[in-house]
Amino acid sequence: MADELERPGETPEHEDAEAHLPSPTIWPFGFAGAVALILLGLIISFWATAFGIALAVVFGFLWIRQVTREVRGEPEPLEAPAPGAAEEPVEEPEEAEGYTRSKFLEGATLGLGAAIGAIVTVPVLGFAVAPAFVDQGYPDVDIGPLENYPEEEWQIVTFTSNADKGAVSRRTAFVRNNGLKDQVPSFTIISNRCVHLGCPTQPQGPPGELRDIETSQTPVTLSATTPSGFGCPCHGGAYDIEGNRVAGPPVRALDRYEFSIIDGSLWLGSPYSVSEVEGEGADAVIVKYRPADPGVHVDGPEQVFYPIVP
Amino acid sequence: MPRAKSKRRQQAGHLLMVPVDWLEERSGLVGGLKYFLFRKVPRDSNWFHTLGSATLTAFIVQTVTGVVLAFYYKPSPDEAYASIQFITNDLTLGWLVRGMHRWGASVFIILLFLHMGRVFLFGAYKYPRELNWLLGVGLLVLAMLEGFTGYLLPWDQTAYWATVVGINLNATAPFLGPFLSDFLRGGQEIGTETLSRFYSMHMLLIPGGLIGLIVLHLYLVIRLGVTSPPWSDEAAGRERAEVVTAKRGLVEPRPRGDGSVPSPSEGTLTGEGPR
Amino acid sequence: MVELLPEGEKVVSNEQERAYFKRYKEDVRERGKPFFPYAMFHDTVMSLVVVCVIVALTCVWYFTSGEEAGDAGILGPRYADEADPGTTSFVPRPDWYFYFLFYLLRIFKWPDSVILGTVGIPTIALILLLVLPFIDRRRERRILRRPVAVVAALLVIASMGILTYKGATAKESLAGENVELVDEWAQVQGLSEEGIEGATLFAQIGCLNCHTYLGAGTPNLGAPDLSEIGASGQTAEEFSAYVANPAEFGNNVMPSYESQGEEVLRLLGIFLEESKGEGGG
Repeated sequence: MADELERPGETPEHEDAEAHLPSPTIWPFGFAGAVALILLGLIISFWATAFGIALAVVFGFLWIRQVTREVRGEPEPLEAPAPGAAEEPVEEPEEAEGYTRSKFLEGATLGLGAAIGAIVTVPVLGFAVAPAFVDQGYPDVDIGPLENYPEEEWQIVTFTSNADKGAVSRRTAFVRNNGLKDQVPSFTIISNRCVHLGCPTQPQGPPGELRDIETSQTPVTLSATTPSGFGCPCHGGAYDIEGNRVAGPPVRALDRYEFSIIDGSLWLGSPYSVSEVEGEGADAVIVKYRPADPGVHVDGPEQVFYPIVP
Repeated sequence: MPRAKSKRRQQAGHLLMVPVDWLEERSGLVGGLKYFLFRKVPRDSNWFHTLGSATLTAFIVQTVTGVVLAFYYKPSPDEAYASIQFITNDLTLGWLVRGMHRWGASVFIILLFLHMGRVFLFGAYKYPRELNWLLGVGLLVLAMLEGFTGYLLPWDQTAYWATVVGINLNATAPFLGPFLSDFLRGGQEIGTETLSRFYSMHMLLIPGGLIGLIVLHLYLVIRLGVTSPPWSDEAAGRERAEVVTAKRGLVEPRPRGDGSVPSPSEGTLTGEGPR
Repeated sequence: MVELLPEGEKVVSNEQERAYFKRYKEDVRERGKPFFPYAMFHDTVMSLVVVCVIVALTCVWYFTSGEEAGDAGILGPRYADEADPGTTSFVPRPDWYFYFLFYLLRIFKWPDSVILGTVGIPTIALILLLVLPFIDRRRERRILRRPVAVVAALLVIASMGILTYKGATAKESLAGENVELVDEWAQVQGLSEEGIEGATLFAQIGCLNCHTYLGAGTPNLGAPDLSEIGASGQTAEEFSAYVANPAEFGNNVMPSYESQGEEVLRLLGIFLEESKGEGGG
């Protein structure tokens, strides 16, 4: 031994010329899995741990048996044939032109790649896009007792259109009580969103005092006004008192809201789009469409550009 | 002992080179960097050619400040405005980082336009650089989209209403418009979903695209080289190969005499101008 | 089938172009300067300038503005008020580099042409930008020998500049914007208390939709300028009566403002009487 230490450059005689490698084995993998199971069992269940310990013992035993086989003098199992030999039968014979192995692999690679792409892309795209088109609907909104809406007077009403969503859903409408028409109450309720590109229109009149009133839902802010029309501060759209366009780029009349009266309170329903309004107040004839984005023509030749509105 | 000292220094130099060599042997990156740094550019390239790299600098400023702002910004309508106020007024140097991001955006856009104007005036979009012009237009569009999505994030009145108009602009596009606007809003109305998807686009989607296009853009710049100013008497690629005596300054080195070219001091300007 | 290209010739570029690029490569290889440090020195200086400008803008913006929302300095406020989707007084404006688009939208004042401003022109501009290298295929790069390109560039720059400027200064004669002018009017005209109240109403109820007043309002409808209307010698009562029912005085164009109520009309009358123009105050 001492001799060997003094001659480090030389290979000890009893070692093989090649480095010794243990033969390939799968038992360590099983053993590692068992250890992982033990650790997992510590968290989830005692039984998993017990099972893991059992597995670890079995695999550990097999592993040790395998490793010590040489020492114990047992014969090694026959190794798999050398790589060159293994491939021989598989190797392509000169195949007839047409469908070769490489062609198959090309096709298969592209196909599998496409499948992976589809599996990932379809749900991701669907998730990104689809929820935006689910019809979320418009909940009805209580905008306060009728006493707050005297006949023939305009009120600027700022309300929360969806209590669940909070301040983001604050909207403003111009509301006028038209009195009774054929014994049925009539209200003109105009949204303040410009139908050009959605800016907040302003009533052309002196704003009154702001009043907060309680409703069965979120509080509502009112202020009386005497508008001569409505104007948009962005691109110069101007509307008359019924929301018809009088100047500027708006493509239709201002949107309106459905309404109902429940327990003496005025409730707003769904908004809808309007191409034009004839007449005034209770006698107005409103040409009504389902709600569309600002800037979208609901009538006239341009509507062919917007065949389907989500 | 100056000699011993220089030897020690040499040794230190070698020691310093060890990690560099290690990296080079395993990646070839050092060679790539060397090629990038020491590649030749036309000798008459001038201050006009700095606009591209200046734009890149502005983009890097945006990336760095943006990442840090994301530490503190809260993309929800209830909190966004307050978090912007907090960043601006209360956080140490928050005003500086937010301000640099805000004004960096404007500077970035201005530089993009200037760079584009330079390329136009120099005719640098012509063969073989057409593809790089297209990439540049793509970069301009993405940069404008960054501006549009980023403008909403402070969630103040200007932000909100500019976004309302911007989204409704898309809604007027024929056929697809109404779908596009619903997609941008994440529904029928601007709300929580709108802010978070604008945030995601502003933070991840568009910058990813920008970085990818910038890499391609730079690759083509390095591969194809930059054009000389069109008015230059010694523009690279001009039709004759006469050599011109030119003034030498700090940044205009003498050409390396490798025998193939007459020394510039001997050359004279002759014949017709460049083409 | 006609053979458009010679055998094996699939590249679109022609021989001359390729020869140019070969010469370019040779010139650069033989007589170019190394990027580092010669060109990179310029780049670095420029980048330093860019970063300094950004920081300088930030400092000017921050140190001249206040903590309050809307407290603007030289470069605008730190932030406006919190977003209020229900507002009726806010005047929306985009970031400056969208001003050209903003003003483009104002130019198309007819419902049928909205789509031109919103998607038409921007799309056309983008397509033109994209196909530029394929339209302009000449090898000429000298500026003076590319008259079409240069004129086109100058036109684009000029129109973008004008649109941006107009967008930045665009005003609407709406209550929200006009009310801010009342202080100025009071100074110029020397208005009384009630005159100022009348001026506020004048700004709010839509008079400036048709009329102009000291440069504000809408000049293109032909309604008279009211800056010096008080110099005509009419009394406040006469003005009130006129505004209440213009038809009675032979004016069939102007609508009646009787619905605004007597108090509004009285204050309006006082305001109009006191409006004697810049010299008359």
